[in-house]
Amino acid sequence: MPTILITGANRGIGLESARQYAADGWTVLGCCRDPEKAGNLAAIDGVAVHRLDVTDSAAVDALAREITAPIDVLMNNAGQTSRPRPNFGEMDYERWAHLLAINTMAPYKMAEAFHDHVRRSERRIILNVSSIMGSIADANGGHVPYRTSKAALNMAGKTLGHDLAADGIIVLSMHPGWVRTDMGGPSAAISPEESAAGVKRVVESATPKMSGGFFDWQGKTLPW
Amino acid sequence: MPSVLVTGTNRGLGLEFVRQYAEDGWRVVAGCRHPDKADELNALATTTNGATTVIAIDVTDRENVRAAAREIDEPIDILINNAGRMESFDEGFGDLDYAKWEDILRTNLFGPAWVTHAFAPHVARSGQKVIAMMTSGLGSLTENSDGARNAPGKLYMYRSSKAALNMLVSKLAPDLRDRGITVVAVGPGHVQTDMGGPTAKLKPPESIAGLRDVLASRTIEHTGQYFFYTGAEQPW
Repeated sequence: MPTILITGANRGIGLESARQYAADGWTVLGCCRDPEKAGNLAAIDGVAVHRLDVTDSAAVDALAREITAPIDVLMNNAGQTSRPRPNFGEMDYERWAHLLAINTMAPYKMAEAFHDHVRRSERRIILNVSSIMGSIADANGGHVPYRTSKAALNMAGKTLGHDLAADGIIVLSMHPGWVRTDMGGPSAAISPEESAAGVKRVVESATPKMSGGFFDWQGKTLPW
Repeated sequence: MPSVLVTGTNRGLGLEFVRQYAEDGWRVVAGCRHPDKADELNALATTTNGATTVIAIDVTDRENVRAAAREIDEPIDILINNAGRMESFDEGFGDLDYAKWEDILRTNLFGPAWVTHAFAPHVARSGQKVIAMMTSGLGSLTENSDGARNAPGKLYMYRSSKAALNMLVSKLAPDLRDRGITVVAVGPGHVQTDMGGPTAKLKPPESIAGLRDVLASRTIEHTGQYFFYTGAEQPW
């Protein structure tokens, strides 16, 4: 059976993805900062919970040594947003630096650390959960720190797509939709179930030609 | 006499900006981290009859940027966020240095944000009211592809910092528009400098002459966009 590793698996899209892949019989490695508080994750049959703070490079390396099995899908889902919405001149730069660390650098670090696990698997997918807010062409404004971190993530994904093509690894940047989660809020457009199922379908049908690209949960290509 | 403030002017494209604007009779405020070590810049400044002022601006030091903004109490027609850094070409996948990545993001992304915030009042009370962010073809997601003019892969730190900077330009534009300020990303091309390397075909005088033409003709209708030194609008 194939294996998926999911970061930020304790809630939202991460948790729902863990449920859906486990239901399909996959081995799910569910990573989160506080396993003690991740009862919902641990309760899913077929999920192994791992403690991981993705901004801790040494911890990422340690987990990569601990896990020896191939990983078919590396799902970099852990992320944070900038809240409250900062205006020009009022941005908290240390918070911004933290968003860049968790949203941009950590997914790249995971790709470096788990490169060999993915390379040895059958499906060889690295899935970065990005956002339409990482689209520079998106006409909306605000949330500048979050937006910059996701644009930078998309660039890392595009570059990884080139560098890892020789290993047969497909790298996807995906907008999961505006989802009713803690991050998306209660008035968002779609449920976590719809989002996770859509992302999963896109991953299942991913081709090498798509590598490095930016897609939404329905498989539509998004503008940079 | 119009005025320009440029960061990172001790060498390369920044120094060429100072040279050309000074020759053209502009008032030039030339920022660099260590004015005491900027021999070529200082020598150039002494030939301008006081029109060029060299000032310490370390874009990674917010207090230093604020102090510079207090010291320069005059209108700035064009603010050019030129200071930037890049990792070496032999650093790539598998051996990234995360502390360096953060440094590059602070220099290439936070630096322009700080300088822009500190000097926006100066720009707002000028005639031209233009702010430029020096980006790069390497920061274009569209051009990071096989067959494009930039080799794909590598330079994760620099590329991601410039993509993030492009996002900053796009999303600061509405805020700055309210103050009458035009903000644009500009690409100098692949230029023969310390950063661009000795094999680049384009020389600094040509690139900077092009960029000066582009900046001279930017108005609020161009705000939030990205232009090449030739004047062509560029894809994100």
